[in-house]
Amino acid sequence: MSKSHHADMATGIGDPQCFKGKAGKAKFKVGDRVRVRDLQEVFYTRCQDYTRGALATVTEVVYESPPPEDEAWDNTDRSEWFYSVVFDMKELWPEYPDVYAKDTVETELPEFWLEKA
Amino acid sequence: MAEKHKPAPMVDEVSYFEALEVAVRELCIEKGLFTADDHRRWTEYMHTLSPIPAARLVAKAWLDPEFKKLAVEDGVKASLEVGIDWINSMPTHFGTPSDYCSLRVMEDTPKLKHVVVCTLCSCYPRPILGQSPEWYRTPNYRRRIVRWPRQVLSEFGLQLPEDVEIRVVDSNQKSRFIVLPVRPEGTEGWTEDQLTEIVTRDCLIGVAVPKPGKTQNDIRPIARAANPYGH
Repeated sequence: MSKSHHADMATGIGDPQCFKGKAGKAKFKVGDRVRVRDLQEVFYTRCQDYTRGALATVTEVVYESPPPEDEAWDNTDRSEWFYSVVFDMKELWPEYPDVYAKDTVETELPEFWLEKA
Repeated sequence: MAEKHKPAPMVDEVSYFEALEVAVRELCIEKGLFTADDHRRWTEYMHTLSPIPAARLVAKAWLDPEFKKLAVEDGVKASLEVGIDWINSMPTHFGTPSDYCSLRVMEDTPKLKHVVVCTLCSCYPRPILGQSPEWYRTPNYRRRIVRWPRQVLSEFGLQLPEDVEIRVVDSNQKSRFIVLPVRPEGTEGWTEDQLTEIVTRDCLIGVAVPKPGKTQNDIRPIARAANPYGH
């Protein structure tokens, strides 16, 4: 594989724009309730520990891209849909004060980290 | 004669990481990964960056509901209107390797306040907001804001009522975020320039809210040099 394969694919197009259309059908849609899978990642991940096993709501279907777990090793053959998901603070931290129970965290995750709740 | 006059040092110290960067950069150039000219062009691009385009994007959104809609739906397209091309402004012509090309503009409401962090590293929307402040990169901020947002924002001087939802946005993937704050009272009839002036970098990160008359970020403590010059 050429060292410039990313530049060849993305120049003038952008990243993640260069992966548009490569992921197929999105598994989830806005409003879906999802749970973050507690997978054993090897070496590298961008799925935060604090999200594992937590319930969230899909707020946006954002873009297609290889997941970072693959991209970090230059494996960019396969793309997935990425989702922006919102967690209640109390879902992440049970000790979070009830008086501020409206507070939330929003973050993006590739499809393989999510399952239907 | 020249020996008698020693100019004062420009910096208190060159940190370990700065020395490491120079060493790695020179190795890369020696091994042909990139040229010194590539590096110069990249550095010059970084020096063009500032928070002003993002501030102007917010001011335009406040003045034009249609532009606000575009900003929220397609941040990359809206950025073009303030002169920022997330794909082509930089030497790569495919975005920057660390900032990518997915700007998302997070719209605050009277009942929803966003604040941005990158807990994993310190991702930041540099093409439209410039370089990140030192505090944004510290574990102090990155670990605490996602767990104790109200306490951390209070340290920044921002306290919000209980019925306001604070949403901490953790930029862990390819999207980069700026906050579109609520337009403050007392700005009726203001021009785009006047509105741009009060949208500070701290407002765009989400740790401050815009106020008439406040055109600067608050001053933060600076860590002292570990091995100062002359030590």
